[in-house]
Amino acid sequence: MTEKSLYERIGGEAAVDAAVDVFYRRVLGDERIAHHFDDVEMSIQREKQKAFLTFAFGGPSGYAGGKDMRRAHARLKLTERDFDAVMEHLGATLQALAVPAPLIAEAAGVALSVKDDVLNR
Amino acid sequence: MAICFEGNRFELLAGETVLEGIERNGGSLPAFCRRGVCQACMVKAARGDVPAAAQRGLKDGLRLQSLFLACICQPTGELEVERHGDARPFPTRVERVERLSEQVLRVLLAAPEGFGYRAGQFVQLERSDGLTRAYSIASLPGAAIELHVALLPGGAMSRWLLTATGQPLSVRGPFGESFYLPEEPERSLFLAGAGTGLAPLLGVVRAAIAAGHRAPIHLHHGSRRRDGLYLWSELEALARDAPQLRLSGSVLDEPAVGASHPGDERIAVRRLDDALIDTDVPWTEARVYLCGDHDLVRRLQKKAYLMGVSLARIHSDAFVAPGSRA
Repeated sequence: MTEKSLYERIGGEAAVDAAVDVFYRRVLGDERIAHHFDDVEMSIQREKQKAFLTFAFGGPSGYAGGKDMRRAHARLKLTERDFDAVMEHLGATLQALAVPAPLIAEAAGVALSVKDDVLNR
Repeated sequence: MAICFEGNRFELLAGETVLEGIERNGGSLPAFCRRGVCQACMVKAARGDVPAAAQRGLKDGLRLQSLFLACICQPTGELEVERHGDARPFPTRVERVERLSEQVLRVLLAAPEGFGYRAGQFVQLERSDGLTRAYSIASLPGAAIELHVALLPGGAMSRWLLTATGQPLSVRGPFGESFYLPEEPERSLFLAGAGTGLAPLLGVVRAAIAAGHRAPIHLHHGSRRRDGLYLWSELEALARDAPQLRLSGSVLDEPAVGASHPGDERIAVRRLDDALIDTDVPWTEARVYLCGDHDLVRRLQKKAYLMGVSLARIHSDAFVAPGSRA
């Protein structure tokens, strides 16, 4: 029997739907990084946040891998601090939704794996 | 499955989307992400059933108009597809022009035969020489079409309308998804607009009152100066007859006139953004309508979202450059 993916264990699309507004509100409310989200229509931006969370959960996000991540973020010129802030909100969001710590760590691991691509280095 | 599009009828191949089928048959639609996110390829089903999955992420108002995303639509039956906003012009004429303030005209157009709309949507107004501008509809269907027109310096359409009573025009549309949803009489509404952004909000409010909306309807009008609240006394009269309507206003440049004008106690000196914080609304349940210039609408939309409103329940209607309103 194959082991269930993190995405399935976390609760699949329903879990992402629950998480995305908590996450996006945290990100938009964070003055350190909110400006990166200013010039995109919000409903589209929310879908992108959802794609990111789905990716972090190892689900079907539409991101084919590092190359996609690189292309999607290249124009933004993000810094290490931007990345850390987003990681912080990812963790806090999952905590707020009472996701068990080992699963949070796993999701953080997935997100960390594309750090160099996101920071374009 | 058969698709009808712009006079062609063709069969979709197995696994093909409506967008792919249209393109394979020599047609084209605006399309960007091709996976149901960017909504550039939104089209309308003139006939046939749209699978729910093809309306993913669309607001209720758009779903009700049978709009869907061509790039993720694999229909289960024959579908007749129309471009979104592809509408023939309806001839009409200017019935009456009334000056509401220094800056704003109320323009009434004869309701063209067969022209259906929902209050709060907008139309493209087209003069016989082709000059085109978009305006929102403040009136309810059945009456003359009421538009609020800002008199802009050098504004080709607005200056012409000033003396256009009796002149022929045509309207195209209706467009937009900022309209009242009668299925939700118990849901609180919050509507905020600046300047002539009031017009579609007034349309929504009139429709809500006519439908017997039971929950509070918070209508907020903002302007730089007091005389920009060009319909204030009329709104007050409306609120006197409809106890669920809660009116408030904000101005930037001058202290509220207060006691010297009865009714002005509901006008505060503040940024329009702050009206959200000052209004007691159950935000997580509320439906929100916003109208004004692009930056303002974007700020209000963000604020409403951060206060807990679901993005799917925020209806934004932003003015963009004349004639190119999308």
